Amino acid sequence: MNPDEHKLVDLEDHFLTRRQFLQRAGMGFGALSLASLLGEGLFTSTAHAMEAEANLLPKTPPLPAKAKHVVHIFAQGAPSHVDTWDYKPSLEKFDGKPIPGIDGVAMASPFKFSKKGKSGIEVSEVFPHIGEQVDDLCVIKSMYTDIPAHEVATIMMNTGSRLVRPSLGSWVLYGLGSENQNMPGFVSLRPGGPPPGGTANWQSSFLPGIYQGVGINTKVPTLNQLIENIHNPNTPLPEQRRQLDLVHKLNELHSQNLQKEAQLESRLEAFEMAFKMQTEATDAFDLSKETQATREAYGRTSQGNQLLITRRLIERGVRFVQVWAGGWDHHQDLEEKLADRAKDIDQPLAAFIQDLKQRGLFDSTLVVWGGEFGRKPVRDRNGGDNPGRDHNAKAFTTVLAGGGVRGGMTYGATDEFGVASVKDKVHVHDLHATILALLGFDHKKLTYRYNGRDFRLTETYGEIIKPVFA
Amino acid sequence: MKNLNAKTQRGSGAEKNDFNVPAVGTAPWRLGVLAFKFLLLTTFSSAVAADLTPSQSEFFESKIRPLLADNCYKCHSAQSEKVKGGLLLDSRDGILNGGDSGPAIVPGDPEKSLLIKAVRYTDSDLQMPKKAKLADDQIAALEQWVRMGAPDPRTAAASAAQKSPGSSKTNHWAWQPVKPVAVPAVADNGWSQSPIDHFIFAKLAEKNLKPNPLADKRTLIRRATFDLIGLPPTPEEVQAFVNDASPDAFAKVVDRLLASPQYGERWGRHWLDVARYSDTKGQPRRFFEDNINPFAWTYRDYVIRSFNEDKPYNVFIMEQIAADRLSTAKKNPTNLAALGFLTVGDHFMGMQNDVLNDRIDVVCKGFLGLTVTCARCHDHKFDPIPQKDYYSLRGIFDSCVEPKLKPVVGTVLVTPEYEAYRNEREKLGQEEANLTTELPKLRKSGDKEAFKQAQRTLQRVEHNIAMLELTNAAAPMRAMTLEDTMRGHDSPVFIRGEAGNRGELAPRRFLQVLSPANRQVYTNGSGRLELAFAIANKNNPLTARVMVNRIWEHHFGAGFVPTPDDFGTMSEPPSHPELLDWLAMNFMTNGWSLKKIHREIMLSSVYQQASASNPRYTEIDPGNRLLWRANTRRLEFEALRDSLLAIGGTLETNLYGPPIPNRALDSNRRTIYNFVDRANIADVLVNFDFADPAMVTGQRYQTTVPQQALFLMNNPLVINLAKRLVAMKDFKDADDDEAKLKFLYDQIYQRQPQPMELQLGLEFVNATQLLGEGTNMVLIVGEPKLNAKGKVAKRQPAPKSTRAVPLTAWQEYAQALLQGNETSFVN
Repeated sequence: MNPDEHKLVDLEDHFLTRRQFLQRAGMGFGALSLASLLGEGLFTSTAHAMEAEANLLPKTPPLPAKAKHVVHIFAQGAPSHVDTWDYKPSLEKFDGKPIPGIDGVAMASPFKFSKKGKSGIEVSEVFPHIGEQVDDLCVIKSMYTDIPAHEVATIMMNTGSRLVRPSLGSWVLYGLGSENQNMPGFVSLRPGGPPPGGTANWQSSFLPGIYQGVGINTKVPTLNQLIENIHNPNTPLPEQRRQLDLVHKLNELHSQNLQKEAQLESRLEAFEMAFKMQTEATDAFDLSKETQATREAYGRTSQGNQLLITRRLIERGVRFVQVWAGGWDHHQDLEEKLADRAKDIDQPLAAFIQDLKQRGLFDSTLVVWGGEFGRKPVRDRNGGDNPGRDHNAKAFTTVLAGGGVRGGMTYGATDEFGVASVKDKVHVHDLHATILALLGFDHKKLTYRYNGRDFRLTETYGEIIKPVFA
Repeated sequence: MKNLNAKTQRGSGAEKNDFNVPAVGTAPWRLGVLAFKFLLLTTFSSAVAADLTPSQSEFFESKIRPLLADNCYKCHSAQSEKVKGGLLLDSRDGILNGGDSGPAIVPGDPEKSLLIKAVRYTDSDLQMPKKAKLADDQIAALEQWVRMGAPDPRTAAASAAQKSPGSSKTNHWAWQPVKPVAVPAVADNGWSQSPIDHFIFAKLAEKNLKPNPLADKRTLIRRATFDLIGLPPTPEEVQAFVNDASPDAFAKVVDRLLASPQYGERWGRHWLDVARYSDTKGQPRRFFEDNINPFAWTYRDYVIRSFNEDKPYNVFIMEQIAADRLSTAKKNPTNLAALGFLTVGDHFMGMQNDVLNDRIDVVCKGFLGLTVTCARCHDHKFDPIPQKDYYSLRGIFDSCVEPKLKPVVGTVLVTPEYEAYRNEREKLGQEEANLTTELPKLRKSGDKEAFKQAQRTLQRVEHNIAMLELTNAAAPMRAMTLEDTMRGHDSPVFIRGEAGNRGELAPRRFLQVLSPANRQVYTNGSGRLELAFAIANKNNPLTARVMVNRIWEHHFGAGFVPTPDDFGTMSEPPSHPELLDWLAMNFMTNGWSLKKIHREIMLSSVYQQASASNPRYTEIDPGNRLLWRANTRRLEFEALRDSLLAIGGTLETNLYGPPIPNRALDSNRRTIYNFVDRANIADVLVNFDFADPAMVTGQRYQTTVPQQALFLMNNPLVINLAKRLVAMKDFKDADDDEAKLKFLYDQIYQRQPQPMELQLGLEFVNATQLLGEGTNMVLIVGEPKLNAKGKVAKRQPAPKSTRAVPLTAWQEYAQALLQGNETSFVN
């Protein structure tokens, strides 16, 4: 017997009860979406209405949008743009010689670039697989940020601030809710210990805790250790079902004299969701359910596994997945180490994009790859015989794909040597504004009232980069 | 109240404003459907009413007012030397009445509005401003504003007084002095037990509502015990109270609880939420300090002790701002630890401006309910706090330093252990000093690798020092003090908040809105002591109100003002303004005693009433703002976890001391003693809405999420407690199943089961169970085993099962009771 089956009807009843309750209280979903339809200046108010109504139910964004999910692959450590996406022939000419605008001597990229796809975008040889898909990619070459220190810039990229603020994923979850109530709506996957900045990178800060990302170390050996308290080693599911039924009955008796309280009713729901989460969330991470062919396509590596899990999460309606794929801080041994890091992500990311396309998820999933800043086109003095590059906040590359983004294009440019972004510069706030726009939000209107002030992801900045829209 | 799942709350947008203040600051959470309809009306008809929705108000304040002020007021305001064209644009009436050419705008219709025509520059005879055409987005903003119906909070009277933004709000209730209030007479049939009840009853009567009868004794003692000490009463305490027929039986319970040292742990934690307490710095100044604050706990203990001693609140304030300047600290040096209030904040990687901002924030929100830090970059948009005021406070805190070596507070016993500690500390201190002198030399030498190596070593040494101070039992207690610099200095205003863009000097002094006309400039050192006096002062209209509101909130689930850290014009007006003032006055005249206020509140009928709901009342007052019933409240994580330990009899009750460095939350001490790492809050705490130490948190969220259920369903703490309960002697010795069941009810809920509950329980434990298939453990992400050729081996190791011994029916039953609402909610 499937222990879940006979409960489905009851569960449905609970939702009905709750919906009726909401309508009784005059806060039906109709009112919310109507308010958001009115657009112009009103979404702010709607957001406030949601404040009293914090939940993860799916919400319609105020503006039309293709993207419904975000996958943010974070190349932490700051990948060198001039060795990956931003080809600078001048560096070869000036190799070992001083170049204008920066101290030190130029360092030519040890990697070859070649034109790929119909679009002919130049891609470094370190990305053989991704290069084949360049016609699906939008390469933003003119990124810049404020401070070239890993932790600050990492937090900046993920929260739009160096102070403690809600993360991008939390804002997205707050705005859109989740399509699956039996799964966390925002998941952060990392292959090992916490990244610089730790949980600040997926925190909800002053947004309610339900919008916080669930941080998961994908290196733990068993499924049950992935999510805290997801598994009960002592009680088999049918027994737990029986136990839960008893809890509900006892609660019913207890609350009779309280009359039905919304808070107590949601608690009943929370237990039902928790019960289902035990199987559904665990199932989402269970790669043994994938075919051998798929496993091989992604590669049985930690990034291959992470991106395959990501696809399983997106399929299940998870709104935002942050994927940590770091190790890009190459002050020395760049030739060897950068190539290794690129190899880690190259095949998995290519397979991931193909997989999304095959499953019809590509158009509704915005994929972002990039780091927290870029690197200098000159030799890092510490490199010795195996040189690398130092930090550079003035220029880096971020790649977008899917989710309403135009493929096969580049946007913006750095100067001749890649020292700084010069044409169509894109700040982190602009990137955030654009991501929110792709999801159907005006970044100026997705606000949350905290301590008498309306906060937003982009603070007082942010310009949407319209040309990248498909 | 941030009760996020109580859908019925905040439903009414039509509440009366008790102070006749233009309701510009209608709070966002009031936007239920009524407010929503209201918003539609005001959007599409002309906004003749002064009431603006928050978004309208925000739009006007951010887009329209600055635009008009910068470009038009010179010739078109009451302040103009010569008003041109008879047109005033600095008040709503001025705009609507218009000037010589007629009304400036037609609300809702930009095409017919002269103002719009003028700014578009399309008519060569009518082009404004004369100097230069406005920017396109400014014109668009004006057009949108007119289309919105030209919502405008400005009144003619305010316009005349208009000097700086926000000053039109000088009549906001919260800036007015606290005055004695007469207790209203009520015909309540003897319901009232306290003057408090008169205020409550009178407000209820206005709406034809009646309060609930008093709760039964068991509910009452549970409520009081959770409220005051954050734990359930013991079965014996409940029995004693039920058996005590004397009229002051409940007063005795309250007095006993107030005298319990666990009171300080409970209420100290509430204050630590406000004080953004953490045992780490969050973002330390790298290579200069370690992330750990090894002595933050001395501040935590100071707070607990102060609550337990019923330290007068004004002294509590004074010490937390300026203990180093007070005689109380000379008498008792442990009071120096009070300054942790200022210093336990984030270190923002050594960015001093952010550190000072954090201190201004915690002082102003914490004691005054004012969001002064909004004025860091510009005048406060909603409250009369000019940017210059922010820099007046900045000057005060910028004239202070944290001494590198923190003063020892408390006695040091020279034992062998202490000697060992001191030797180790000196050794590490010497290493630190050597490295610190060496670093600049290495930097100059250009040997980057050696420099980095030394930096790394220094970091390790700093960490070792912090860990030694934190974990060595012989390490003396030190206070996280702050000291005035030799000479105090004023801060320049940073224009737009940019440190490189310096404006005039802001003299060190108190906030304009809370000061008399002849505002004193501070001259005593940094001015911290004078600031402390200005806050801990009976003439300050906010101090007592803000604290009384906090206390009320923790007894009732919501304060009179539902935003405890913001009493500004954007906050919702108090539900019971007269009672708030009566309590504030009472608080001050009774020596700022918190325990007296608790007692006063708890001996009222409104506190003691039952929580039963009433559908008709729910429609009239969905949020229970008028308090016709007691609210049902979810326990915070600390209270829940501590209760579970108490129920199982394993709770250790020793007070104070360094935090438990183990982050696994598996100690038997109260949760307040766990190590708090602001950069890495445990998931379980986040899931239960723990107060984020990045900010002042006067009220935690009360969300209900599946992860909370998972904790109760699957966490070893709960499972082990279930096992422990049925292993207790009284359980085993019980005569029959019914007696066993009654024992569990008594232990967990401190009451006897009702017949229906008995029946359900007996059915549950007696049903024969077929154990089905549970969740299987499967190895995933771990790397697959490879064969000798480096290919994935055909035979993979069998997945390890972590299945433990299944619970017995009784254990499962006990756990069910722990999962029940009654364990997690107080009613």
